[in-house]
Amino acid sequence: MLQTVVTGLAIGGIYALMAVGYSLVFSILNFSNFAHGTVIMLGAYAGYFVLTLAKAPFPVAIVGSIISGAVIAVANEGLAYRPLRIRNAKPLYFMISAMGVSILLENLVYATIGAHFYSYPHVFEMENVVIGEASIGILDLFALVFSTVAILALHLFLQHTRSGIAIRACSYDMTVASIFGAKLDRVIGLVFLLAGGLAALSGVFLGMKYMVYPTMGWITNKAYVAAVIGGLGSLPGAVIGGVLLGLLETFVSTYISSTIRDVFSFSMLVIFLLVLPTGLLGRNVEEKI
Amino acid sequence: MLAGALSGCGQQAQPPKEAPKEAPKEAPKPEVIKIGHAVALTGDASIWGQSESNALKMWVEKINKQGGVNGKQIQLVAYDTRADSVEAVNVVKRMIEQDKVVAIIGAAQSGVTIAMTSVTEPAKVPVIATTATNPAVTVKDGQLKPFTFRVCFIDPFQGTVAAQFASTKLNAKKAAILYDVGSDYSSWLGQYFTEAFEKMGGKVVAKEAFRSGELDYRAMLGKIKKENPDVIFIPTAQKEAALAMKQARDLGFKGTFLGGDNWGSPDIVTLGGKAVEGQYFVNLASMDDPDIQGFIKEYKEKYNAEPVLPNPVMAVDCLIALVEAIKKAGTEGPAIAKALEGTADLQVLTGKLTIDPKTHNPLNKPAIIQQIKDGKFVFAEKYVTK
Repeated sequence: MLQTVVTGLAIGGIYALMAVGYSLVFSILNFSNFAHGTVIMLGAYAGYFVLTLAKAPFPVAIVGSIISGAVIAVANEGLAYRPLRIRNAKPLYFMISAMGVSILLENLVYATIGAHFYSYPHVFEMENVVIGEASIGILDLFALVFSTVAILALHLFLQHTRSGIAIRACSYDMTVASIFGAKLDRVIGLVFLLAGGLAALSGVFLGMKYMVYPTMGWITNKAYVAAVIGGLGSLPGAVIGGVLLGLLETFVSTYISSTIRDVFSFSMLVIFLLVLPTGLLGRNVEEKI
Repeated sequence: MLAGALSGCGQQAQPPKEAPKEAPKEAPKPEVIKIGHAVALTGDASIWGQSESNALKMWVEKINKQGGVNGKQIQLVAYDTRADSVEAVNVVKRMIEQDKVVAIIGAAQSGVTIAMTSVTEPAKVPVIATTATNPAVTVKDGQLKPFTFRVCFIDPFQGTVAAQFASTKLNAKKAAILYDVGSDYSSWLGQYFTEAFEKMGGKVVAKEAFRSGELDYRAMLGKIKKENPDVIFIPTAQKEAALAMKQARDLGFKGTFLGGDNWGSPDIVTLGGKAVEGQYFVNLASMDDPDIQGFIKEYKEKYNAEPVLPNPVMAVDCLIALVEAIKKAGTEGPAIAKALEGTADLQVLTGKLTIDPKTHNPLNKPAIIQQIKDGKFVFAEKYVTK
């Protein structure tokens, strides 16, 4: 029982990290950024190559990965979304563009790096920390702590800095915020920078826990579910949704069967959309897709 | 004979110069024989698919340089299936309706090939599967599919080989199975293993399933570990197997792991690391096989990479059998199928190929047990079908 909770938290922490980046973009631009998963995947590759090819120490790999993720996400915004934004396109078109970017980048990885699976070198000893009757891998513990720190840092940034306030203002109403002096392009660029960095970080953790491969970004489906559960566009909601989903999945796998785990996860998505479309902590999202 | 042709290709400088001189004379007649290739070039199975595709291109080039088949050049029409059944049906339709292929090589996956035959059988286009090992690929409900063939052994045999090996060589009394419920290959192989293992007096103490693409196996492995098996049979692809083995070792499982031919990619070592060291799996072809050294050398020279066995070798076996059938019977589907059915003692890369007319499966196809030692696949045992 305790073991299941611990395992669930370890998975939930990564879901939360992914869901936060996804929710961040949603809160400003009101669309599902399907390219988020691709940035996670590229971030995982970046971290892997910094570690193995450049033989850099682990902290450098994390920083390198976050920077690459941030750069890719900002470039993605500039090339694929900004032109749509200028033309006042509907959120649907953003979503289609995001899917295009995601498929393009994934296939680009197949064509250049190839279909091989990569495994991160062992950064941590394969030892477990024992908490009562349960044990948690050092990697999982590190990922959980680091995810929490990253999410808290983001929270403080949004609450206490000028840029953070601008982002929050834009997430309520972009037009009004811009009348009050928020520079939209800068705010949106910053949002993608943060979301990309978080995506890459979760990519490194996923890569270390499991492995690195071109379709690994599909796991963001779970981040979308987590974001809906928590309330689309709400950052604390994304965290809660991620952790809840991780726990739910682990309990289903352990006590029922892992073959129907995803049936539970996605039923949860449908139930929330029907009964509580704003999620646990969300705002009204009627006009959003 | 083939080995000679292979090693002769080391001097690549001269033949290409001759070929273009003759080519222009024949060029006005656009007489080509189109052969379809349904292959996973992207997706999780693409590591084999890309290698398979490379090998076929190389071999077709070689046949064409030597004058083609019945005076015609072979043209390969390859489309990506992504190892997805729906996608495969679409590409096969395109091959047959638009490209007018005379026969199709592929697919590597049983489920995908079974889906393809729903189109190829009515269209009377022969299909030769490379590594689709499920019995239902060629025989469904006791009914032989007249246009579907394969060059690999079948899963009941593979499952029996694994069970025999576990029972006699590893002295296993209790086995557990961790399988992919989303894959025909995996669930049936688990079933065949169970039947053979219990027939030999062993007991399957746990059977745990997961869905394709699973990343975390701790919940299932925890249940398996409680039963304390000697062996865990993991009939899945290398990615799933490597992750599961790693996690099983993390949980403190000390026994042996055993797998099927889908393990045979070097990825299993890079992914599994120490966890896969010393473990065993059944395979279709081995890099150590002296018969295919020429092929491996040629492949390495051309692509500057090692072929990812067994698919490239099996695909070339398909091509050789197909070319032989076309030589005898021409390019009509039913005639090719008839000729394929009569394939006997044909020299292919992996040995002599004889197709059983009753099942369209190869006879006397050896299965190899390999062990992972120092990150390499080492030959351990050889079994032959009866």
